[in-house]
Amino acid sequence: MAHVELKDVSKRYGPVEVISHLSLSVEEGSFTALLGPSGCGKSTLLRMIAGLEEITDGRCFIAGTDVTDMPPAKRGAAMVFQNYALYPHLTVRQNIAFSLSLAHASKQVQDEKVGAVSRMLQLDQLLDRRPAQLSGGQRQRVAIGRALVRDPKVFLFDEPLSNLDAALRSQMRIELARLHQQVKTTMIYVTHDQVEAMTLADKIVVLDKGVISQQGTPLELYNRPANKFVASFIGSPAMNFFAATASGQAGNTVSVALPGGRTAEVTSRGGKLPANGTVDVGVRPEHLRLGAAGAAGSAFDGKINIVEQLGNSTLAYVDTPAGLLITEGEGNLQINPGDAVSITVDSSHAHLFGPDEQVI
Amino acid sequence: MTSMATNISPMAGARRGLNVGHILLTALSIICALLWFFPLYWALVTSFRHDDETVKNFGLLPENPTLDGYLYVIQHSSLPIWYLNSTIVAVSVTIIAVFMAACAGYAISQLHFPGRRLLWWIILASFMVPAQALIVNHFIIIAGVKLLNTHAGTILPMLITPVTVIVYKQFFDSLPREFREAAVMDGANPFQLLFRVYLPMNWGVTTALAIITFIGAWNAFLWPFLAAQTERMMTVTVGITAVQDAFGVFYGRLMAGAVLAGLPVALAYIIFQKRVTQAITLSAGIKG
Repeated sequence: MAHVELKDVSKRYGPVEVISHLSLSVEEGSFTALLGPSGCGKSTLLRMIAGLEEITDGRCFIAGTDVTDMPPAKRGAAMVFQNYALYPHLTVRQNIAFSLSLAHASKQVQDEKVGAVSRMLQLDQLLDRRPAQLSGGQRQRVAIGRALVRDPKVFLFDEPLSNLDAALRSQMRIELARLHQQVKTTMIYVTHDQVEAMTLADKIVVLDKGVISQQGTPLELYNRPANKFVASFIGSPAMNFFAATASGQAGNTVSVALPGGRTAEVTSRGGKLPANGTVDVGVRPEHLRLGAAGAAGSAFDGKINIVEQLGNSTLAYVDTPAGLLITEGEGNLQINPGDAVSITVDSSHAHLFGPDEQVI
Repeated sequence: MTSMATNISPMAGARRGLNVGHILLTALSIICALLWFFPLYWALVTSFRHDDETVKNFGLLPENPTLDGYLYVIQHSSLPIWYLNSTIVAVSVTIIAVFMAACAGYAISQLHFPGRRLLWWIILASFMVPAQALIVNHFIIIAGVKLLNTHAGTILPMLITPVTVIVYKQFFDSLPREFREAAVMDGANPFQLLFRVYLPMNWGVTTALAIITFIGAWNAFLWPFLAAQTERMMTVTVGITAVQDAFGVFYGRLMAGAVLAGLPVALAYIIFQKRVTQAITLSAGIKG
């Protein structure tokens, strides 16, 4: 059942349209990530759900209620901001209880709710401190506690981890995932970090220039990108792309002539090939295999330019007739810059994109 | 070695140059401070002298210190009443003006309503008109509503403090919008936002503005002089002129009156030195 639903919503600032006729359904209890580059409209969309931005056109529903014209506090949504927005003059306890105090909840109710939330977030030792006396991670937990205490129907997170260092971000990701498992409340999470989206969300909505580019589970987006934008945005290192010419098709198997003169067979998803056969082939680094130069069945010969040993894997940047391609191999791969190699494409994991950048 | 010596020597020279300049600047600062302080000191010393000594003894300390001047002023003037009037006026002006300025600054900074920009320009424009230029208008209006020679009549025109509104507006503008949004999501209305989030977030601004408004209201002379028409309604600054008229040239009494008039403000400066400096800094960019 859709718990948060946007129906044909648009947002315009004067003549500039930042969200264009967007419809989205978020299932109850799901963790949905809105992912996209800066300026794609993901934060605006979140703020429209929160009621902090007016919706120019369209309707917004939370738990079946049309909240389009409701004030933010009445929508049943709680938001965690990027910079936490903790009131600096209040203690942790007062910050968490702020909404209850505004609602004239009794002291006993406030104490009970703050106690429960602080125990859940391990803040009970910090209740009398002020935000300035807390670390980044602790502040983040207080911000979450402030949202949690309102017992909202939906949690909205606006890039909540982007102010934290890498180690703390990783730790907070786990805490957020645990929190979601515990409270099972619908969560909508805005981020530009695809790792955060992939690890936390059970559904990712990729936004590009104010429209949904693709939505699905993390693995769907990773394995079956609908277009070049999603293919390039999801995955690190990014997917390799090179131009090729489709020379024949048998069912879903397309023969493509590669730069450098060799051919490869790529499985299409049943889309129509362009008349002139010009396509872009996309292959993730782990689906390119290095071998000895001139190996039979290889797609390219090339020379290794840079090697990055990451311990669990080895990234090789290889100069080929198709340009610089990144391959990802085993951690103990013994290769050096300047080595002559061949590259074999795992054709079952290659993607074809047409001139409109949609997958074929 | 030679090159090292060559490298070191200009640095040492620079340090010497710096020291001489530093000493000269310090000396100049001390001289300026003494020039500024001496009249105050002289007024204080004179208030403790006998009148016959004032014109004979030009020493730095009184020969036979006396409190006669103070006792005379306290016993033969309405100083306690003037103090009370000044306190009523200054405290009322401070509370009302700062409250109104906070509300106005918040509204102009954070709320969206028709005419907001126009209102802002009017406040900026009013700041460019000196209070003295409006004094006749104020007098006519206050006389018209029959508030002359009342506390309300003295207080009302002194509530016009555009600088305070401007400082508040700038302060509210500088706060990240997330605080407002977080409070709105928590269910705060505009008044709760102002009084439970924005103002408490930095009481320093309000304290600084309150102190500087209080000092300004206490020291105000022209309007209280026109508004108060009987001795019982005078403030200290106005009353002190009455001391001069009533006592003739009695330096000890005059200076004792002046010291008593300035004492609360001087104490306020001393106690809230940091806040006063902060207030001046806050409004410095505006007064430009």
